[in-house]
Amino acid sequence: MSDERFFISESDLRALAADLLATGTEVIAPVAVDACASPAAMASSACMRPGLEPEDLEYRALTDAAELDLARGLPILSLKGYFLPEHEALCRWKQKGIAIEIEAVPTEFAPRVVLAAKPCDSAALAVVDEVMNWDYKDELWNGRRAATTIINLACPVIDESCFCTAVGAAPDAIKGADALLTPVKDGYVLEATTEKGHALVEAHKARLSPAADALTAGADVDRAAARARAAANLEIDAGSVRDWISTHFEDPLLAQLAIRCNGCGACSSVCPTCHCFDIVDEEEGVGRGTRRRCWDSCQASSFTLHASGHNPRDDQHSRYRQRINHKFSIYPLKFGEVLCTGCGRCTRVCHAGQDLVEILQAIDIAARRPDEAEAAAPAADAPSPVAP
Amino acid sequence: MNIYQPQLATVTEVTEETVDTRTLRLEFQDVAVRESFTFKAGQFGEYSVFGAGESTFCIASPPTRPGFIECSFKSVGKVTSALREVNVGDTVGFRGPYGNAFPVDDWKGKDILFVAGGIGLAPVRCVIWNVLDRRDEFGAVTIVYGARSVGDLVYKRELEEWASRSDVRIVTTVDPGGQTEDWTGDVGYVTPVVEKTAPAAANAVAVLCGPPIVVKLTLPVLDKLGFADEAIFTTLENRMKCGLGKCGRCNIGPVYVCKDGPVFTAAQLKALPAEF
Repeated sequence: MSDERFFISESDLRALAADLLATGTEVIAPVAVDACASPAAMASSACMRPGLEPEDLEYRALTDAAELDLARGLPILSLKGYFLPEHEALCRWKQKGIAIEIEAVPTEFAPRVVLAAKPCDSAALAVVDEVMNWDYKDELWNGRRAATTIINLACPVIDESCFCTAVGAAPDAIKGADALLTPVKDGYVLEATTEKGHALVEAHKARLSPAADALTAGADVDRAAARARAAANLEIDAGSVRDWISTHFEDPLLAQLAIRCNGCGACSSVCPTCHCFDIVDEEEGVGRGTRRRCWDSCQASSFTLHASGHNPRDDQHSRYRQRINHKFSIYPLKFGEVLCTGCGRCTRVCHAGQDLVEILQAIDIAARRPDEAEAAAPAADAPSPVAP
Repeated sequence: MNIYQPQLATVTEVTEETVDTRTLRLEFQDVAVRESFTFKAGQFGEYSVFGAGESTFCIASPPTRPGFIECSFKSVGKVTSALREVNVGDTVGFRGPYGNAFPVDDWKGKDILFVAGGIGLAPVRCVIWNVLDRRDEFGAVTIVYGARSVGDLVYKRELEEWASRSDVRIVTTVDPGGQTEDWTGDVGYVTPVVEKTAPAAANAVAVLCGPPIVVKLTLPVLDKLGFADEAIFTTLENRMKCGLGKCGRCNIGPVYVCKDGPVFTAAQLKALPAEF
């Protein structure tokens, strides 16, 4: 049962989404949106050219199953915001005289389904689960995780910024998700791996048929090809990278790699694993308000600024080093997971040209090179270069 | 109740320590919390004024005095300025206790040297009272405390109380130029005063807290006096938001000040990247 694979036609997949919507279940899926809808985008040259109607892909709550867009690459933002919203209430307060009342926020959420999630985005959720449960349980994160069934879609589009296979993820992985769809002729092969995934399969069995062996074999070939395409972009030894960073904090290479970064923090916003946040109070009239957490970025100088004016990371290279260190060394050492799933969004969004594929390659090369100190000292059992 | 929701506490006492520093005594409004709340010396919390936000300070009162907690802070930013305005009877928020603690129980039978500069006396005061409340368990107690000027000395009444005790040796000092005409303490920076006071380092531990420059300059002096790096304890502060290891800003390399600290030995500090 657990490794049973089904066939679902494209029209039945849309019908499955429609069935879920009909029962009142929220369905989050990639949807094409007008790229020029925001005032900022409207000013861009692409939006001012007549006849061009650029579209972006975003994860949105479907209002109609027809909106489901299954053919394209990565949505602009990851799924992060559906689990750690850009800002969310932690509690509310109300003043009564000099007394204060606190209103708790709910930590249980209505069931929902993510359809056609990118494997790098679901994997990121599993990675961030670790820190959200490090001794103290983040019920807001966990509540949304528990309420959500995620069905991945094996990645149909891999570009030059993708490197999921270099960091332990894959274009056809089910990590962090409950089921996987793999595109085949006229439809998809569907396999469920978790209890939530099996429950969804069971509930929609009428739209599924057993997948023929030839079909699953074809799907497997496509999946392997996609993995090979991603691997061609970057191959590193993540363990060596982790160890090199942890022992080369002051290495000039880490400063060099930050040289183009101007600290805008766009990489953190689009990153599916960046989870750092701020907590602020927002007053809503007199004597009441909401305590909120909101996304923050280690690339901002205010991130670590002490009230005294002292700042432990007071230049951009130390802040960029923190980003690399946290993702590829600190987090793996603490939780055994790289805090990156190789989606490549940070590279695509960076207007300064910081390229994580290039940066990881540089660190990997440095990690493979013997240390100068080690190179200078010949090994004890090495033959003496001078003949006796 | 999620982990970010604070407990409500009533301000029951306000002490103006200096022109910009004050101490608040807080009692939890929930009786069950008030009766069951415990912490260890060195732990910290997130204190909040609703509408201004949260700020991180140590618990400055000792765990040997249950029923309330105290915090001391300098009015510098948004939250501390708001805390400066609260009065007795007002409600504030508190989350905690968080972080590790000074291993006070391991120090039984040992001499203890306390060194503090400025507002750095707040976390040290918690340990001093914790030790003095269990005085018989420890050896000689020496306190070296310095501030920029006489007006900047915090816990003035307690400094007098410690000076009047025969079982405590205390040296109080102010920076050159910070003395008043009737000042009877030392004049000079904390570091040379520690060297001059020269407490015995054999079977002793040192607890050190102050501005980064005081910590940096005093560590070599303690080394010279014979204190091993493992016997020197300090408490670090980094900007924090959650206090729970999630918000991602207080780390020094692989070490999270909120979870792995805030208390570190000098030996641990030396193994960390110089990013604090």
